[in-house]
Amino acid sequence: MALAAFAVPFSGAALCHSQAAAQPLQAPPSYRQITDEIGRTIRVPQPIHRIVSLAPNLTETIYALGLQDHLVGDTDYCDFPAEAQQKTKVGGAVNPSIEAIAALHPDLVLVTKNLNRLETVQALADIGIPSYATDPHTVDAIIASTSRLADLLGAPETGSVLAADLEHQISGLHDRIAALPARRVLFVVWTEPLISIGNDTFIADALRHAGAVSVIDSSQNWPQVNLEEVVRLQPEFLIFVESHYGAAPHSADALAGLPGWRLLNAVRNRRYAKISDAINRPAPRLVSAVEDLARQLHPEAFTEEPQDDKESSKPPALALSKSHVLSDPTAPSKEQPCAR
Amino acid sequence: MRPLTLRRLFLQCSLLAAILFVVVVVALKLGAVPVSLYGLGRDLISVLLHQTKALSSDYGMIVIEIRLPRILLAIVVGASLSVAGTSFQALLRNPLADPYVLGVSSGAALGAVLALIAEPHLALPLWLLVLLTPFGAALGAAATIAAVYFLGRRQGQMDTATLLLGGIITGSFLSAIIMFLLTTAGRDLHGMQFWLMGDLSTPLQQSLRWVLGVGFFAAAGAIYTTASDLNLLLSGEKEAMHLGVDVRRVRLVVYIAASVLTGLAVSVSGAIGYVGLLVPHVMRLLFGSDHRTLLPTAAFGGAIALVLADTLARTVVAPSELPVGAMTALAGAPLFIYLLRRGSA
Repeated sequence: MALAAFAVPFSGAALCHSQAAAQPLQAPPSYRQITDEIGRTIRVPQPIHRIVSLAPNLTETIYALGLQDHLVGDTDYCDFPAEAQQKTKVGGAVNPSIEAIAALHPDLVLVTKNLNRLETVQALADIGIPSYATDPHTVDAIIASTSRLADLLGAPETGSVLAADLEHQISGLHDRIAALPARRVLFVVWTEPLISIGNDTFIADALRHAGAVSVIDSSQNWPQVNLEEVVRLQPEFLIFVESHYGAAPHSADALAGLPGWRLLNAVRNRRYAKISDAINRPAPRLVSAVEDLARQLHPEAFTEEPQDDKESSKPPALALSKSHVLSDPTAPSKEQPCAR
Repeated sequence: MRPLTLRRLFLQCSLLAAILFVVVVVALKLGAVPVSLYGLGRDLISVLLHQTKALSSDYGMIVIEIRLPRILLAIVVGASLSVAGTSFQALLRNPLADPYVLGVSSGAALGAVLALIAEPHLALPLWLLVLLTPFGAALGAAATIAAVYFLGRRQGQMDTATLLLGGIITGSFLSAIIMFLLTTAGRDLHGMQFWLMGDLSTPLQQSLRWVLGVGFFAAAGAIYTTASDLNLLLSGEKEAMHLGVDVRRVRLVVYIAASVLTGLAVSVSGAIGYVGLLVPHVMRLLFGSDHRTLLPTAAFGGAIALVLADTLARTVVAPSELPVGAMTALAGAPLFIYLLRRGSA
């Protein structure tokens, strides 16, 4: 009995000891040194169990990778998919509460450069919370960024399947519309005042993949554009983003009655393309918004699909955005052979 | 104060009108599309004769439909802000008073934002809907002046420092409320940040143009009827009262009319600073402080200043634009400091 009592603590101590001895050996694999997309080298614990996302596009990406169970917190603006709204909120993307983030004990915080602030990242670093920043400027970079993220978060297989699907969808689109002349478009971010997009945004690249080119040539990301200039350039289509935050002050249809705007041929002929706000988010769902846009701008390229076309020509923005992200890349992959 | 002669008033106004004309012609010529002076003149005449088919080119339509209305808007907004600034300066006997400094612009902006938030939830006839934003802005402006006015009073007397500090603090408080509303009301109000900086690029609906034009002349006219009383008010409220001025009535008329002017200007163009502060100063230096000449010359001066500022705002970084409020602050702040250092302010 005394022996047993002696033996138990001893074996416990031995266990502790062996674990402590093993720690230095296990340490290198349990932390991983990586460089994020803004060039910072960070140390990330592996595997990652608790993730906080500080941007809607990153939240979407996490869901698309099937890692939502590891997502312990996100922002007020993370509204897609709808379940993301149930996650613990840490505030807005620009001004999240560092305290609320810390209280969630995340292994890693995900940020994106064009939305989050460096101050947030530094404040997190000061209290020892690592953060990984993405900064994609093109559709290809979004796909690459997604698979890098999948790799980092421990879902490399899902990531490569998703990336392959997205690439397949993009190349399918390319095959259909590459030969067609690009539509000259105005991407309308805001009408009062008129704000559009610059060349270096992922949206401009998304337009290119949809067979369109923005008439606005600006190095700013969100240039305020002179209406005269737009009338001079006469874009073929105006692109509006359907927002679920309620109507913009001037809905697309009201433009026809406005001085200045009514000089646009696109307004006179109601050449509007309306796409879901997936276009505003550098996440996998962007690709379905690109396809939706391509269908509206180049309907002639999508005619040889008897039953699918009817269903997806009108409400695809809603239908696609509500369906699971992974489900739609399969649709064009089936159609693609018959297009060639 | 030199006695007012009609001839002097006429000369001053024609001089300023001539400058305004030159500025407008230059502003009409500059922009994204090229236009010749000859084509411009011909197009204007054919539009006046309602022969829009006879325009010289497609570009003629751009100039007539986009550039000209924007310049006219700048004229009315500039004149409104300048006249409102002149009135506040007389009313409060303070050369630093101006809608922007006193927080009245912020109050008007808050009124406009509230009206815009309420708009989709109200089932109003269309003509009332058009009036909603200007009305909200004017109401916001009036409420703010009232608040600032009471903040600035001490033992029944107006205290300059208290008044200005009260105005600045009221302004920042109201701006904070606007920020709160814009943050919580959803993403579609984010573009209003640009509007808050002062912006003349949004084409006005036809009906709103009428509201703006009629409102400006009614309010500016009402203020002008008090011009000689305002002169007497400069020597002090009690003194003016002894000289037979109905101070209460003058104050009420100027207060309401200046609120309407500020509300109209802010509802169509956001908060544009420095025009209401600086232009009356410059005009006082040039033409003296008799309100019978100061009010009209300030109106012309404000129009000239804002047309110039807006032309720069839409051309210096073409094809992009700057908010015109940034432009007026950029030019206005150094000029104001210069005037302040000269000791004339």
